[in-house]
Amino acid sequence: MEESHYLNCKSRAQNYNPPVDLRLLDYVSIYDNNLMCAICRCPFVDPVVLSECDHVFCRDCIRQSWNSNTSYTPLGPRGDCPTCRTPAKLGPRSATSKILVNLVDELVVHCPKRDDGCKAEVRRCEVQDHVNIYCGYTVIECTDDDCTLPVRRKDAAQGCLHFGVSCLSCHKELQKWKLEAHWRSECADRRVHCDMCKSSVFYRDLEAHRKEACPAMSVSCPGKALGCTSRSKRGHAELHAKSCTFAKLAPVLLKQQERLDEQEAAQKEMSRKLEVLEGGFQNMQGILYPPGVETSQRSADNSLTPSLQERLFGSGTAESTTPTGTAAGYDWTESAVDEDAVSPAETMHTAFSSATSPRQRAAPLPPGPRPADLPEPFSSDFDIASPTGFPPPATNGGPYASPLHHLLSMHESLRDEMTRVSSALSELDGRHSMQILNENLRTREEISYLAAQTAGLQRQVHWLTSSALQRQQGRSPTPGASSSGAGGAMMDAGAGAGVEAAVGAVSTAATALRGAARMVNVGGNGSGSGTGTGMRRGTSEEGRTKL
Amino acid sequence: MTAPLPKRIIKETERLQTEPVPGISAQPHDDNARYFDVMVQGPDGSCYEGGVFSLELFLPDDYPMTPPRIRFLTRIYHPNIDRLGRICLDVLKNNWSPALQIRTILLSIQALLGAPNPEDPLNEAVAKQWKENQGEAIKTAREWTKLYAQPKQ
Repeated sequence: MEESHYLNCKSRAQNYNPPVDLRLLDYVSIYDNNLMCAICRCPFVDPVVLSECDHVFCRDCIRQSWNSNTSYTPLGPRGDCPTCRTPAKLGPRSATSKILVNLVDELVVHCPKRDDGCKAEVRRCEVQDHVNIYCGYTVIECTDDDCTLPVRRKDAAQGCLHFGVSCLSCHKELQKWKLEAHWRSECADRRVHCDMCKSSVFYRDLEAHRKEACPAMSVSCPGKALGCTSRSKRGHAELHAKSCTFAKLAPVLLKQQERLDEQEAAQKEMSRKLEVLEGGFQNMQGILYPPGVETSQRSADNSLTPSLQERLFGSGTAESTTPTGTAAGYDWTESAVDEDAVSPAETMHTAFSSATSPRQRAAPLPPGPRPADLPEPFSSDFDIASPTGFPPPATNGGPYASPLHHLLSMHESLRDEMTRVSSALSELDGRHSMQILNENLRTREEISYLAAQTAGLQRQVHWLTSSALQRQQGRSPTPGASSSGAGGAMMDAGAGAGVEAAVGAVSTAATALRGAARMVNVGGNGSGSGTGTGMRRGTSEEGRTKL
Repeated sequence: MTAPLPKRIIKETERLQTEPVPGISAQPHDDNARYFDVMVQGPDGSCYEGGVFSLELFLPDDYPMTPPRIRFLTRIYHPNIDRLGRICLDVLKNNWSPALQIRTILLSIQALLGAPNPEDPLNEAVAKQWKENQGEAIKTAREWTKLYAQPKQ
């Protein structure tokens, strides 16, 4: 019974303290890199030498390395040397010289229970013994006979510590034997040292301390965004900020940057809006001035009679006594920025002048009597329109910044009006031609109806005449009835004359109809629109009437 | 949590921080010490000069017995690196040796940038171009480096 209990305890004690992993140890001094295994990067643990290339590895490392990539071989573990790739194998006598083993065994390490508080520094070959036998922080079974719970070796003398207590700082419930470890590493209210400034703070405040208060923490200059790359400890940050131009300028410049960004965003939005508006405006322009219309208007304007031009210019000069007229004259002759702008009094005149002005610009001395008549009024315009004598915009009553603006706006309004008028004109034109076409059709139908009737009459008359003539010819050879025949001839002659007259009347009627038809056709052709199909139909109608 | 981080990985990470290889930096993730963000500068004198390429590196559980997994995150025109950034390099596959480390592998990758090997291609199209018209291929590689591998300001 005693024995079994002992064995039981022993096995559990083993579980509390697993064998020390030599690769996880912290070394007190810096060791030579030549003592380091190339695979685990730790000082050799049970080193072996590969006889083929003399490279040394830990036994476990080289076995593991070869096992992972080669299958089982009956001649023992073999593979390539990890360092030089020489094919090698692990023989029974691969152990290295004693000197290497001694070198790594002599290395001094910290006790693996260092985190728990053990300050022992022992040679590596003795660390397992230290943990198993001497280390006060190793966990063993409670010495109390009735208790089998674990306890640290150094506390074992104090009797059984397996009773509940509560932490004085954080009031957490725990067992007495764990209290020290709790204070050391768990309790939120324990005092810890900040790594940076070595001051003592509560563990729960450590994060905040590091972030905000720790004077040894390095912080970047407030002018970092402007390009100052200096980082200084928080304690010296003030000094730096005083000397750094970036830090001084930072608040102002950052604010400006912010505003700049805002304005840029606003500008972007505006430009997008403008784009949309421009697109819309161009669409509208495309609708108002289709490319064909402009040229036809120009060509029509070029055919304006000189008299009309003269009248227009005369009106322009007549108005030049009024301030607006003067402005117009100035614009026409001198500035040439906005030649189309004239007094808004007469829309039609404006329209014509806007069309004629380019000609004027191209040829300073236009043909016709104008050059002889007009120099006087134009020169007077020059005088009035000279910059000193220019009437102030207030006289126009408009809220415009300058006369040029006024003229421009006037020009715009006139242009609009002009387009309205031109559209109305084209509409009227269309309606008119439509009406004429309708009228034509009706008349033509009537004419064709009449023509058909006339043709019928003609045919009847022809038939009657031919039958009468046949009858006359058939009767004239009979001698017996000369008198009666003469009488009949007389009668026939009279009848024939009547028929002749009737035929003549019918043919005159037909010619008259033809003439009417031609007239209608001419009217149709002259009605402006004169579409090709209409014309063709007209001629075919004519042909039918002729037939 | 799985097994504690092997001492070797901790040591390698520390050494990468304390004695960085020129032109190479590797930074472990805060939440996963086996996952590294790597930056590799294009070697001087190569067509990747001036570029900064970012890679991801993952150390599997049985590292160092198995090679780390590495992938280019930056696009690169190279016959041994495919569109997904996978690298065709012998030491990352069959020729891995546990004696190799993160730093040596990254140096190998930097060397691969300096000496593309179109005879053992991973990206067939690039390798073809490289073999048939090397001047044009190098020009493209330079352009891609300018386009994709510019260091962040």
